[in-house]
Amino acid sequence: MEGKIIVISSGKGGVGKTTATASIGAALAMDGKKVVVVDMDIGLRNLDVVMGLENRVVFNIVDVVKGKCKLRQAAIKSRKIDTLFLIPASQSDNKDAVSPNDMIRISKTFRKEFDFTLMDCPAGIERGFENAVAAADEAVVICTPEVSSVRDADRVIGLLYAKQITPKLLVNRIVPSMVERGEMLSHQDVVDVLSIDLVGLVEADEQVVISTNSGVPLIMQEGSKAGEAFRRIAMRLNGQPDLPIEEPGVSKSFWKKIGSKIGFGK
Amino acid sequence: MMIDFMKKLFSSKNGSRETAKKRLQFALVYDRLEVSDDMLKEMQNEIVSVISRYFVIDKDQLKLDIQRDDDLSALMFNTPIISAKARRRVA
Repeated sequence: MEGKIIVISSGKGGVGKTTATASIGAALAMDGKKVVVVDMDIGLRNLDVVMGLENRVVFNIVDVVKGKCKLRQAAIKSRKIDTLFLIPASQSDNKDAVSPNDMIRISKTFRKEFDFTLMDCPAGIERGFENAVAAADEAVVICTPEVSSVRDADRVIGLLYAKQITPKLLVNRIVPSMVERGEMLSHQDVVDVLSIDLVGLVEADEQVVISTNSGVPLIMQEGSKAGEAFRRIAMRLNGQPDLPIEEPGVSKSFWKKIGSKIGFGK
Repeated sequence: MMIDFMKKLFSSKNGSRETAKKRLQFALVYDRLEVSDDMLKEMQNEIVSVISRYFVIDKDQLKLDIQRDDDLSALMFNTPIISAKARRRVA
């Protein structure tokens, strides 16, 4: 059976694409799938450090495209998970080193060798985005509950639709206590505005920083709420689309619950 | 607990959440249509000139708006009509 190519995009930078790519990739691999995550941010590579593999980089995606090495040679195996691989971006080229047609051409090999290929899309909607999206079968759009991020997500969703891809939304870095106080967009607000299906909701979680510091996959951090959410997102992408989406929430006291029931909870 | 309750009962101030949602919805209407203010202005002028051929309208009161439902955007053009113009037969 042919593998699937999923692009993780957002439009805006700094909303958690790389963390999401690494975490979902790790979760799929721990579920027994053969997974490769590809850093498409040519010139500004980061996925290698997030995954703790920066010391093992030999070849990169530009080398694969230019035929300097085989896909298999460029794929770095994760230290922790046997079926997880990384293809890093080149640090010395720019986005024009690769074209969307190049990506379509090499996508056959990706599909043949891996169950899942996750493309970590760079910020922006220019060449880097075009490259990352070119061969994708599915797309996950990430936004945080902030005005600027949601607006950029809307733009990217429009561009993906134009490419006949129906993306799914991941709302990242939700702070339930702020939502409850009425000082942050809720995931429902974001869904209302973007009118798109959700693939998952991820709470803001200190463990993300700790995981990036150490290069240990987030989903292996004990008790990480974000890690657990990413694990469930991976399951939804891996043949369980109807797995219920858990809403991040603060544990309410009895009286507050009563209060919000009778309308004072705003 | 009681103070919280009283605060909630008497505060009329909405959180920034509602503001954010409204601003977003407004911004996205224009983003999605990809129309510039210049284009809207130009269209308004043309609509006014067409309507003015048939009605006397109050040009200061007219309003051009884009309204959005879930997946439908509507162009709303509101203008008070002062009177109909005398009918002319067009040969």
